Amino acid sequence: MLTLGTALAFGGAAIAAGFAGVGSALGVAVAGEAAAGVMSEDPDKFGNVLVLQAIPGTQGIYGLLIAFIILLNIGAVGGDLKELTTFQGIAMLLAGFPIGLVGCISGYTQGRVAACGISLTGKRPEETGKGITFAAMVETYAVLALLISFLMVNGIKL
Amino acid sequence: MKKVNLFAMIENRDAILSALQKTGNVMFVPTADDKVLPHASEVADEAAKASDAIKFLEQHATGKASLLAPKLQVPYEKFKQPTDRSKDLTDQVQALSEKIASLRNEAETMRVQVEKLEPWLSLDVPMEELKPTENTETFAGYIADGSLDKLKKDLEPLTCELVPMGNTAEGQAVVVMAYKDDAEQVKHFLKACDYVDFVFPKRTGTAKEVAADLTAAAEEKDRLAAELEAESVKIASKKDSLCVYYDQLKAEGQRMTSSGQETEKTFHMQGWCRADREASVKEEIAHVTDVYDLTFADPGPEDIPPSVVENSKIVTPYQAVTDMYSIVHSGAFDPNPILAPFFCCFFGIMLSDAGYGVVIAIFFLAALKIFKLQGFAKKLFLVIGMGGLSTVFWGAMFGGWFGLTWHPFMFEPMKEPLKMLILCYALGAFHLVSGMCIKIYVETKRGNAKGAFLDTGSWLILFAGLFIWGMGTPFGKYIAELGAAIIILFGDRENKNIIGRLFGGLYKLYGISGYLSDLLSYSRLFALGLATGVIAMVINTVAELLWKAGPIGIIVAILLLIGGHTFNIIINILGAYVHSSRLQYIEFFGKFFEGSGRAFKPLALETKYTDVTK
Repeated sequence: MLTLGTALAFGGAAIAAGFAGVGSALGVAVAGEAAAGVMSEDPDKFGNVLVLQAIPGTQGIYGLLIAFIILLNIGAVGGDLKELTTFQGIAMLLAGFPIGLVGCISGYTQGRVAACGISLTGKRPEETGKGITFAAMVETYAVLALLISFLMVNGIKL
Repeated sequence: MKKVNLFAMIENRDAILSALQKTGNVMFVPTADDKVLPHASEVADEAAKASDAIKFLEQHATGKASLLAPKLQVPYEKFKQPTDRSKDLTDQVQALSEKIASLRNEAETMRVQVEKLEPWLSLDVPMEELKPTENTETFAGYIADGSLDKLKKDLEPLTCELVPMGNTAEGQAVVVMAYKDDAEQVKHFLKACDYVDFVFPKRTGTAKEVAADLTAAAEEKDRLAAELEAESVKIASKKDSLCVYYDQLKAEGQRMTSSGQETEKTFHMQGWCRADREASVKEEIAHVTDVYDLTFADPGPEDIPPSVVENSKIVTPYQAVTDMYSIVHSGAFDPNPILAPFFCCFFGIMLSDAGYGVVIAIFFLAALKIFKLQGFAKKLFLVIGMGGLSTVFWGAMFGGWFGLTWHPFMFEPMKEPLKMLILCYALGAFHLVSGMCIKIYVETKRGNAKGAFLDTGSWLILFAGLFIWGMGTPFGKYIAELGAAIIILFGDRENKNIIGRLFGGLYKLYGISGYLSDLLSYSRLFALGLATGVIAMVINTVAELLWKAGPIGIIVAILLLIGGHTFNIIINILGAYVHSSRLQYIEFFGKFFEGSGRAFKPLALETKYTDVTK
């Protein structure tokens, strides 16, 4: 039987993968628009620009990762669904929040920084590395949120 | 670095510069009195022409050379002599490309005309006859869509004939032949329907005939263009000589960038040369001529010499990481030998999958050998390749093999996250302390031992005390307090006011929060390692589910395993490289690095298509 706790745990997975995915989608899109603009001037920069566009994609992966661990722990992957108590379920739900929330916002903002990095590449291709570094600074908080989400999920004894 | 002053005869200039360019030991610095050499722009134009010719051949015949394709090997003796043949070839290709372009252009124009004639094809009167006669006037053009019925009604009482033609995006095509007396009125009604005149091509015959003629002519032009393109395929085999020609011109152009100060017969140039290459530079010039004067001097206080760092073979690739941040300032501490092991180690932990490490090491190190990469690409591939080896090590420690767990030598980070975090912070602390030690070393060497001890050493005492205390020895508390006391008392020692000085010191002590955030930043080592491992696990789990679904499932599962792991490797190489770099730039360099140096860019052979061999 599906308990309320198990259902809440699904909510945690949904928040982690869903919101972080939204952030990455927005970020990659913003960066992609800028990339297409640079491409119209100089198609040879495709490689550099693509790397920058890929950077905001990681938040979605982090969200997926937490969602997967939650699903794995509650037995949704591979068959035997566990019956969680309500409190266990709430804990799982909350564990999805750090990466869901931070992933959503940092994914989008990182996309904006990456878009600026792409414009930078358009004008000064030799400075691509610095544009990548700027974008990576935004990622820090998604990485920290990922870690906390993971420790939370890992700390819930089922 | 030594300051170089060179005086020689103008007639020998190119020979001297060529000799210097071959070994690339001298960086010339233009002065205010420099002139642009008269032939410089010609050479630049010719180089642009050659470049266009190469691009043309790539587009029409050979296809674009892959970025990783090995460059053409040219012996230096051959490279030295530009040939007229290459110049002729360049002209030939240019003529060919212009001809093809103009033929294609003409064909395109004709096709556009044919398209425009489309609505008029049913007109059986030859076009040249659509002109006013003694008693009639003819209008041929477009009116606004949907106004045909209105026009018909309007024209009914007048002496004229309206023939509707085809309908296009530009409107409804019509031909109106009117009796001269009514022409003005017809014009008026036409105007009310937004009438626009259609200009027929200046040809004779009916629209149908003209369209057929034009189509045939366009096809003929296309055929000619295709023939010429086929001809260019024949020339394509000579593309290599164009590539050599382009690089020769580029090298020549670089020799011509500055003239130095000239008299009627002599010139003077100045620049920089590495101190240990003095003898070699002298020898190279002496080889060309004996009419010269060459002096080497130490940089004066007003000079900012360019900087160059030299490292062992293993450390050199990591200069790419440092140079991306900033060129090390001349005479400052070169961080590369210390950075290299940390970078390599962090890269490995962030990937932490031995299977991936094997793939990365083999792929990048093999690519390096096969494609004979040079410059930045070579350094980058070496850094990632070595990172792959480190990944194998850490993957084995943590038991990660393509997302599966097998016999970890240390522990499984997923199962024991606390241990993993402690490992990350320990490595981070080691990294940070190394940075601080470099700062103490540099300051002490400059004679500022006291400042080094009070500003940086005090923190080390504080941290050492905290560490000993944390390990369970209460005595450590006193050591930590000693460190803190030094910071409070001497942190703001420039301040004359004793109260202000103490508060300044306290504020300095507050800087511990900065160290704390630096240290916490190393938790990314764990998080990124986690990302690699779990995504690999996701791929494996999904593939396993597919595997059970029958024969098609097995095929899809295999594709998923290959594609998924490849994607995971690529995205995580990017992450590991960027975040390892960041830990160096922000956390490590922040402690001691002196950047904003000027790169040493000697006059050298910078070739695009060729590798000049000795």
